[in-house]
Amino acid sequence: MASAIDERCRALRREGRMGLMTHIVAGYPSPRKTVPIARAMVRGGADFLEVQIPFSDPLADGPTIMGACERALANGMTTKKALAIASELSSGTGVPIVLMAYYNTVFRHGTARFCADAKAAGVGGLIVPDMPLEEEASEHFMRSCKASDIYNIRVVSPASTDLRLRKNARGAQGFMYCTARQGITGARRELDPNLSSYLRRIKRVSSIPIAVGFGISSRAQVQALSGHAEIAVVGSAIIQVIERQGRGGEERAVERFVMGLRRG
Amino acid sequence: MNGHFGEFGGRYVPEMLIPALEELERTYSSARSDPDFRKEFTHQLKSFAGRPTPLTFAANLTKRLGGARIYLKNEGLNHTGAHKITHCIGHALIAKRMGKRRLIAETGAGQHGLATAAVAARFGFSCRVYMGAVDIERQRPNVFWMERLGAEVIPVRFGSATLKDAVNAAIKDWIENVGDSYYLLGSAVGPHPYPTMTRDFQSVVGREARRQILEAEGKLPERVAACVGGGSNAMGIFSGFIRDSGVKLVGVEAGGTGTADGRNALRFRSGTVGVAEGYKSYFIQNRDGQLSRTHSIAAGLDYAGVGPELAYLRSRGRVEFASATDSEALSAFTALSRHEGIFPALESAHALAYAMKVAPRMRKSDALLVNLSGRGDKDLFIVARALKDAGFSSFLRAEGRRR
Ligand SMILES: Cc1ncc(COP(=O)(O)O)c(C=O)c1O
Repeated sequence: MASAIDERCRALRREGRMGLMTHIVAGYPSPRKTVPIARAMVRGGADFLEVQIPFSDPLADGPTIMGACERALANGMTTKKALAIASELSSGTGVPIVLMAYYNTVFRHGTARFCADAKAAGVGGLIVPDMPLEEEASEHFMRSCKASDIYNIRVVSPASTDLRLRKNARGAQGFMYCTARQGITGARRELDPNLSSYLRRIKRVSSIPIAVGFGISSRAQVQALSGHAEIAVVGSAIIQVIERQGRGGEERAVERFVMGLRRG
Repeated sequence: MNGHFGEFGGRYVPEMLIPALEELERTYSSARSDPDFRKEFTHQLKSFAGRPTPLTFAANLTKRLGGARIYLKNEGLNHTGAHKITHCIGHALIAKRMGKRRLIAETGAGQHGLATAAVAARFGFSCRVYMGAVDIERQRPNVFWMERLGAEVIPVRFGSATLKDAVNAAIKDWIENVGDSYYLLGSAVGPHPYPTMTRDFQSVVGREARRQILEAEGKLPERVAACVGGGSNAMGIFSGFIRDSGVKLVGVEAGGTGTADGRNALRFRSGTVGVAEGYKSYFIQNRDGQLSRTHSIAAGLDYAGVGPELAYLRSRGRVEFASATDSEALSAFTALSRHEGIFPALESAHALAYAMKVAPRMRKSDALLVNLSGRGDKDLFIVARALKDAGFSSFLRAEGRRR
């Protein structure tokens, strides 16, 4: 069966437009609201949903996503409940779901079992930022992804050397997740001026679609990526919309914001 | 050097940090085999930190307990008050070699932060220290001293606002500033090559202690005990005896106020294997792998993880683990003060408490070596409160009124 991620990437190419992946922390702002807000993202025009399983010690995340993780955990979110949320979204929204987790979440669940459970939940790919290629020999994470027929989405950064870009590209499936800057997650106004040369470096080593995330918060930034990448990823900026909105009306606000990222 | 200690250790970090860790590993490898580097390190240890530290026979305590002969490796006599300055000098020299201009550190008790601030001042780095807001409350004097040394101390308010959160904040700073900044991690934890580097730098403690006790006793000790937060002082002293299979090595964890969840930092008893903060080891965590709250009267032991090499040595049966509670550590603090004229750091008092428990059961001809990782001056406020010292609290009230 063709992967929903690949199909969506092909459709984007056919339509000649930039894809949009929106991010949400499972259990944020509350376990009940995650799914309706994610649906609002899809109504607003999201092509992919990235569902993050909250972790107590998220190394790559800035204050906004960290705060969302803390809140989700305080709300009683667990790995099992997060997988159930992913499952609800994969069957109800029609867009591919990728699951983002830190490796301890995967490891504690049992690496092979996590991959199998994510697959059963209808997840198309896994983003595990702190699982580098070098630990594969101990963890068999990529092997478990293969065994469960779920994509292992590699994350690279502007600091990655060409050699490391090539190594990561070799194991990459679906798309490469390229951080827009050397740094942690968090909404920013400007894109890194060196971004296009870094994305060109990736294009030279691989023909896999490129998703760019970290710091993207506006339509202008999304547009600036066109021609350099296939998918723009927006995370912290949406959490900020939810925080500003307060209780009630988050769905409308998120839908409007996501629509604005696409159409202005 | 491959960074794995059996199933433990490794380098579980985002891709963004891999190039920086590879560069650090290369620089350290070349420095390690460079005689000039070793000479400079040894020179700084001697002329700045005050090494070698003495080995002190605790004659009165030994007599009172009526068992093994107790020796103290007095790391508290190092400049800045603990063993931490030793690896800080090593790391600072590496940072200089790499052309870095800024040091980033996390701190729990404030001892590592203080030592980092001191080497930053001495070697000309700017310095930022992350410290949990809870730890700042209990170790305020060290914040004051770090600031006098020119460091910027940033309170960390997220998570449990203790050491693990300070580590997270420091790593995030490093991710943002890898170009000009050096992350001076405070213990034998974190992603490769940190556990190896910190152990190597601290191994001077074990080499000195081995030589000193052979001189004093004419034989090796039966046991060596050290408190274990992340494992820097323990790996330092243990590495001197690791090949002496007859020497029993004992790591002492913080028993806090009991065995219930959140009341201790017993990683090997309450914890399970996990991956966090860049390495695989034992962590106190829930079923889903969320790190849990920990507690110890000693901020330096109040940490959810433990060094990967110690996890490995335990799995091989080479290092055993014991624990001491908050109140046992306080009693040991009082005993050492009264009977030997030495204030131990509350962290080190845990190792001492263990020694006081087992010494009476050992033979009189046995030698028991305790790593006294630091001195207790920094714990003035905690000890005064724990001992309910009325004079000190009325002084504090008066001091409050004077400002
Ligand atoms: C005096 C002293 N001993 C021990 C420790 C615990 O750290 P480690 O286990 O790395 O020696 C600390 C940490 O702050 C400390 O200040």
